[in-house]
Amino acid sequence: MSDAVDTSGAAADGFEPRITAFVCNWCTYTGADLAGTSRLHMASNVRIIRLPCTGRIDPLFIVKSFERGADGVIVSGCHPADCHYTSGNYHARRRFAVFHDLMEFVGVDPRRMTFSWVSASEGAKWRDVVDEAVANVRALGPFEAYRALAPEDAGVAAPAGARVEAEAS
Amino acid sequence: MSRIGVFICHCGENIGRTVDCEAVTEALKDHPGVAFTEDYKYMCSDPGQQLVKKAIEDNDLTGVVVAACSPHMHEKTFRRACDQAGLNKYMCEMANIREHCSWIHEDRGEATEKAVDITRTIVEKVKHNQPLESIHIPVTKRALVIGGGIAGIQAALDIADGGHEVVLVEKEASIGGHMSQLSETFPTLDCSQCILTPRMVEAYQHPNIKLHTWSEVEKVDGYIGNFTVKIRKKARSVNEDLCNGCGDCQEACPAKRIPSEFEAGLGNRTAIYVPFPQAVPNIPVLDRQNCTLFKGRRKGLAKDACGKCKEACLKDAIDYDAEDTFIEEEIGAIVVATGFQLYSIGREQPEGLKGYGEYGYGEVPDVIDGLQFERLASASGPTAGAILRPSDGKEPKTVVFVHCVGSRDSEKGISYCSKICCMYNAKHAMLYKHKVHDGRAVAFYMDIRAAGKGYDEFSRRAIEEDGAEYIRGRVSRIFRDGDVVKVWGYDTLSQEQVVIDADMVVLATAMRPQDGVRELAQKLSVSTDEHGFINEAHPKLRPVETNTAGVFVAGACQAPRDIPDAVAMASATGAKVLSLFSADELEREPAVAIVNENTCIGCMNCAKVCAYGAIEQREICTVDGHVCGHVAYVNPGVCQGCGTCQAVCLSKSVELQTFTDEQIFSEINALCYWE
Amino acid sequence: MSEVREVARKLLTDGTVRVIVGWEDARRGARPVFVTDPADTERLIFDTRCVHNLVTYLNPRRDNVAELGKIGLVVKGCDAKAVAGLLREAQLTRDDVVLIGVRCGGVLEEAELPKAASLSPENVAPRCYGCDNREPELVDHLLGESQPEPPRPVMTIDERVAALDAQPLEERWAFWTEQFSKCVRCYACRQVCPLCVCERCVAEKSRPQWIEAPPHPRGNLSWNITRALHLAGRCVDCGECERFCPVGIPLSLVNRKLQHIVAERYGYTVSDDPESPAPIGDYRLDDKQEFIK
Ligand SMILES: Cc1cc2nc3c(=O)[nH]c(=O)nc-3n(C[C@H](O)[C@H](O)[C@H](O)COP(=O)(O)OP(=O)(O)OC[C@H]3O[C@@H](n4cnc5c(N)ncnc54)[C@H](O)[C@@H]3O)c2cc1C
Ligand code: SF4
Ligand code: SF4
Ligand code: SF4
Ligand code: SF4
Ligand code: SF4
Repeated sequence: MSDAVDTSGAAADGFEPRITAFVCNWCTYTGADLAGTSRLHMASNVRIIRLPCTGRIDPLFIVKSFERGADGVIVSGCHPADCHYTSGNYHARRRFAVFHDLMEFVGVDPRRMTFSWVSASEGAKWRDVVDEAVANVRALGPFEAYRALAPEDAGVAAPAGARVEAEAS
Repeated sequence: MSRIGVFICHCGENIGRTVDCEAVTEALKDHPGVAFTEDYKYMCSDPGQQLVKKAIEDNDLTGVVVAACSPHMHEKTFRRACDQAGLNKYMCEMANIREHCSWIHEDRGEATEKAVDITRTIVEKVKHNQPLESIHIPVTKRALVIGGGIAGIQAALDIADGGHEVVLVEKEASIGGHMSQLSETFPTLDCSQCILTPRMVEAYQHPNIKLHTWSEVEKVDGYIGNFTVKIRKKARSVNEDLCNGCGDCQEACPAKRIPSEFEAGLGNRTAIYVPFPQAVPNIPVLDRQNCTLFKGRRKGLAKDACGKCKEACLKDAIDYDAEDTFIEEEIGAIVVATGFQLYSIGREQPEGLKGYGEYGYGEVPDVIDGLQFERLASASGPTAGAILRPSDGKEPKTVVFVHCVGSRDSEKGISYCSKICCMYNAKHAMLYKHKVHDGRAVAFYMDIRAAGKGYDEFSRRAIEEDGAEYIRGRVSRIFRDGDVVKVWGYDTLSQEQVVIDADMVVLATAMRPQDGVRELAQKLSVSTDEHGFINEAHPKLRPVETNTAGVFVAGACQAPRDIPDAVAMASATGAKVLSLFSADELEREPAVAIVNENTCIGCMNCAKVCAYGAIEQREICTVDGHVCGHVAYVNPGVCQGCGTCQAVCLSKSVELQTFTDEQIFSEINALCYWE
Repeated sequence: MSEVREVARKLLTDGTVRVIVGWEDARRGARPVFVTDPADTERLIFDTRCVHNLVTYLNPRRDNVAELGKIGLVVKGCDAKAVAGLLREAQLTRDDVVLIGVRCGGVLEEAELPKAASLSPENVAPRCYGCDNREPELVDHLLGESQPEPPRPVMTIDERVAALDAQPLEERWAFWTEQFSKCVRCYACRQVCPLCVCERCVAEKSRPQWIEAPPHPRGNLSWNITRALHLAGRCVDCGECERFCPVGIPLSLVNRKLQHIVAERYGYTVSDDPESPAPIGDYRLDDKQEFIK
């Protein structure tokens, strides 16, 4: 298990992208559940963080993910007009449109950021979103450019678990 | 320091087949803050839950992570188990290693690695979970129903029959709404008055219903279970307690030629009047605009110009100096049932609508709308049910019915289908043919939309049995030519110009929301669509709720509706209100937003994005009590927990419980991949 | 600028305001001045050197200014937009302030402040080119003569943004990370910004600390992205942040980019009408979503 910790920072051969997904509870999380119940196989590189609504998702989550070494992110929620909270996704859509364009301006490859609408019934779409995001990021390689910004004394402590794992191996 | 228990479930083989559960257990065992780990075949089974409970007790656990299936599956189960073991249930979370892991991956190594990540992430989250208590909100078990059409009446009756008090507010002098104007109703052609009047009377006499007619909602404060509603009782000039409905005043009133609203302008009324004989309550109002006495007062006459009604009233119920009064009611739930109005298609139009000047409405007397036809066909109407055209009182031998006037024509401002017109046009054609056997009924239509039980059969009957001629196409112009009304149209099937010399034309004009709904919606903090219809909370799953908790919607104020729809919606709101009233307190999940008053700057950006109007501005005071600013305040009774406010708050001054920044930050960090 | 002096004097004399915030002459161009004595209104000036956005003194973070009493504030068009921003976000009520608007024909670039007075393509502040609010509407008094349009600078901000847009991603990344890596986290950009109103900026929040505090390239990137995003649809392009940045980060390019984004996507341009809703916090059902799968 520890080799992921090792390889992700290493050269692109054998590179396994690490992708954090921020998804809403009602549509995409449930859609991902459906993918599971339907036994739809997909790439294992994505880790989901569940939020109540896309309206709750802050661009800082994405910035922080990149800071911490994610190679890509996914943001996904209910389709327009389907938001469990009526309009959270509309607010999110504006917020992320602006964020997306700004990041692109700053030089982040937009293919590292997947935004999608996946409803509770779209298990297959979720699989496609995951596989496509993984393929895109795999092609782009590790997000070394962002990691290179880290301070020399590597201010970030590894999460306790990761360290334990690394030691255990 | 947290003492978290991590419970890894094999789910029989469902997880264990692809995830090495022992390895996951091993990996979490020494994770900081983890005090206990255990894997088990079926965590959700009774022994599994026992295992969790026992571990909580034996190890003084401060948090629990169950790595198993989706939280949607068993979060409740395990939270209940924790609760039973004395651990606050919000200290328990699930790590989804089945749906999101074992079921979607094949490689055991990959799946195991991912399961460790998922579990660890949730452990890191739980370190920042807070023990929370459910929110309890007292509920005032009284309902307010706004609008006394069939929808409002039905809602009021259902709630009142359920044993709760209802305050019914109607802006007109009588309840009944549009249904009271109808002659016979599709699809069964039963007499509208005959089925409606008993309901009106029942509502009036119901011990649980308090009726305020000639009244409007002035102001609404509060939130679900706890509204305070201010009602304006407009000056009726007739004392409702004294009046016995004898009608002597109407007899005496000299102003007799005022067009009657109820008769859609086809009949007259007096200045002091009950709108129609079956009105409920049977108490007149004095129309000050048209009253001779008030006209005189407005002119500044020294002496009152009339006073006949007061003289005639043996009960001395008439009070010319009555003023609007206000009452306040404590209310727990509100049903909005303000209905519709017909698109008055003349040349004068409110903003955004273009009217249909080319159809001559308002200029050619024999061009009428659907409600006017209803009055002509009604046995209690101005012609006692005989179909006679307004201009000369002759029986029209050719009547043209035009569908979709105003509806489905975004050019002219309305894009939607009014839904009921196809049906009432068929009804009108039928009623006409039943009364004028040698008459010719011609209908111009775009499509026939007759979806509903018995509806298609009904509209076919108009064509097949009653011989109405249906022409598919639009009418371009209607104008008067001597004694006839010329109708220029185009038959799109035969692709020919059609000109019909009609004696009368009936326009099926669009259904529009009532005037003043936007203002009312604002008072209630519910939203309206671009046309002014009240928005439902969810178009499919919450059709009679609005986005303001405790406010429901029924009937044609939500969208064009016919009577069965309106009544079904009304009963649905009744059920919603009754279920809300079934307990003394509303219990809600504590997943609500909380504002940090120390850092909030009161920019109210959060309030702008809250779909539920849960956020209000609150003044803050210095120690000595003078107001020194304001901050946002989230009403926990209203907040639904979406967290949109938190993401929009620049200074991060509002936190959504159960999904706090610290929790998510920790999750992101737990997924730290490199060093 | 006799008109400004006159109005200021009158407002102070009749007690309408307790203090006038405007500009006065100084060695290095103009500088902000607080006038409380009617006699001192003689010091007030307005010319192309008056670059400062004085609305920053209305910012509620500066309670000490409010303590002086009701303020009369001299504003250019861009400044008036900032007042509208504060009104929009309930940081101010219209009655708190008397706005003395001046018709503006553009101001000088920072480096040129001490000397010249009339504008040329070489010395004009680039942001003034194309300004849509040279005669503010929100004001109580609109003074001065109608001014000619500011000259086109040698290189406009839009051209600079377009030049960046035309570069490949990697080069933009290199450009911005290098720029941001210069940031010393003095937060001057924030302190001077009239719309950075937060009492506790997100950059100062701990638990959790979203933005790493030490000035290293990674934290700096987070800070600068966040600052830019927080000003999306709010920034009035007064240029103060860039003018005050001690290390010369071209913040106006990021700010302008965000203006383009909200304009292209939502047809929004920031105005001095406090009633027009800001684009973030608002939405339309048919907002563009080409970036969403
Ligand atoms: C020409 C025509 C023929 C029709 N024929 C049929 C038919 O045959 N069969 C059928 O099923 N349907 C028919 N309909 C449809 C039927 O009229 C409606 O479905 C029904 O009236 C809707 O009831 P409602 O209670 O929602 O609204 P309404 O009947 O409009 O009642 C709303 C009530 O609310 C009151 N109100 C409005 N605003 C306020 C306020 N702010 N405060 C307090 N009170 C307020 C109004 O005064 C009114 O009393 C026909 C409609 C038309 C126009
Ligand atoms: S958005 Fe934040 S700072 Fe503004 S009022 Fe809401 S909680 Fe307060
Ligand atoms: S969490 Fe959602 S519902 Fe609750 S106050 Fe915030 S925006 Fe409103
Ligand atoms: S003014 Fe410049 S150096 Fe200072 S914090 Fe802002 S961007 Fe960084
Ligand atoms: S971000 Fe800069 S240009 Fe924009 S309003 Fe603030 S100080 Fe002015
Ligand atoms: S950068 Fe953002 S959080 Fe900080 S002061 Fe400005 S608006 Fe507020």
